[in-house]
Amino acid sequence: MIEIKNLDFKYEDELILKNINLKMGNSAYTAIIGANGSGKTTLVKHLNALLLPTKGFVTIDSIDSRKNQFDVRKKVGFVFQNPEDQLIHSIVEEDIAFGLENLGLKTEDMKIKVKKIMEDLGITYLAKKNVNMISAGQKQLVALAGVLVMKPQYIIFDEPATTLDNKNRDNIMKIITRLNKKNKLGIILVTNVLDDTKYAENVVVLNKGKIIFNGEKSKLNKKILERAGLDV
Amino acid sequence: MFRKMTFGQYTYKNSIIHKLDPRIKIISVAALSSAAFLMNSYYKFTIFSLFILLVIMLSKTNFSALIRNLRPFFFIFLFILIMYIFFSRNELDKGLLTIWKFILFIIIASILTFTTTITNMVTAIEKLLRPLKIININSKTIALLIALTIRFVPALFLYADRIKDARLARLGNLKKPKHIKLLFLPLIERVFKSASNLSDAMLSRNYREKRITYFNIIKLKYYDYASFIILLIFIFLILIIA
Repeated sequence: MIEIKNLDFKYEDELILKNINLKMGNSAYTAIIGANGSGKTTLVKHLNALLLPTKGFVTIDSIDSRKNQFDVRKKVGFVFQNPEDQLIHSIVEEDIAFGLENLGLKTEDMKIKVKKIMEDLGITYLAKKNVNMISAGQKQLVALAGVLVMKPQYIIFDEPATTLDNKNRDNIMKIITRLNKKNKLGIILVTNVLDDTKYAENVVVLNKGKIIFNGEKSKLNKKILERAGLDV
Repeated sequence: MFRKMTFGQYTYKNSIIHKLDPRIKIISVAALSSAAFLMNSYYKFTIFSLFILLVIMLSKTNFSALIRNLRPFFFIFLFILIMYIFFSRNELDKGLLTIWKFILFIIIASILTFTTTITNMVTAIEKLLRPLKIININSKTIALLIALTIRFVPALFLYADRIKDARLARLGNLKKPKHIKLLFLPLIERVFKSASNLSDAMLSRNYREKRITYFNIIKLKYYDYASFIILLIFIFLILIIA
């Protein structure tokens, strides 16, 4: 379980997140929505220990993010908004293996895992391709493969469909749902498009660094969305 | 123009040059570039260029991609030529040899990046720089810095192209030197943003300075030794005997 308690985050004297309290179950599908600048990305960066709380704490399956960042990142994967900036190596299969090298897996094991994950996502044909030569949709799948191959228990998707066309958007949303329903992974989806939250069980609405709604999607009303500055 | 730049873009091909150990390729690039630097006659340059042509053919590298890599340097070549014409006309042949040298340097470097994946390059540089450990320098960090630079060169040109198009679409002008800042300031901003995103992406995938295992294991084979010996013999012949 992911638990955030009394979280404050300050950046250059500005309080970006204010008293955040949140719990997310092991295989829950949670959507975090809010307008641009509401603090969504800042909040989820705490779940991967990329940012550490100024006050309060974040625990992932009882591991405190301030004490053990390595284990936190092993448990929580992060797919960023722009796949262009998250692919480290120039060749698809080598980029997918980047996280496994950091985990210290044997070469033979790495080869097997990379092959398997590419088969699962249907991107085996991209294995030897240069990441600069593939489409935005393909880059997003490669980025996802690089995270999935590390076998996390939770995955954060930070506006994963922003740079994609409708077809690729649908595809990535279907994959996210499949990961939750079939593979029982905990999903945290960050978005500012209400339609993207249709498969989420729980919705968290952020406004100016504060949670203004946390509950089932069916209970979300027009008033809350308007308050958060979102299109209804 | 920027979109057509292919520097730093590995292309998978089944060639002997692709199969060579990256350490051998890096040392060969250094050796060939030094040899090109030391040469001083058209005769030697012609033989040397024919050798490079043979390497290009062996590597199955696309000629048009190599030409595209040379195109952005055209103005530098022109500048060198103009300088020689105006200030040292009696040494014009020296100027032509300097340009020829530059062309060879770029082609040699391009062959390396076209035929070597970044992972292999990182591993090779890491291993070659390992002796620096004695003076407390982490070879992995240096290797990764070089590799990321190569990885992001095409992306950088792409960003520059997008910014240029955005300016031109709003009837902007990039012809005068004072307008160049309109291109570079947003580009620098974009580069810093990308660097920040990239460091987050690396950390989120548990990047550590010490690497224990490798996805691609590099191992010297008989043809690595053989090709390196051939290269050394060629350099010796062209510098000493020819």
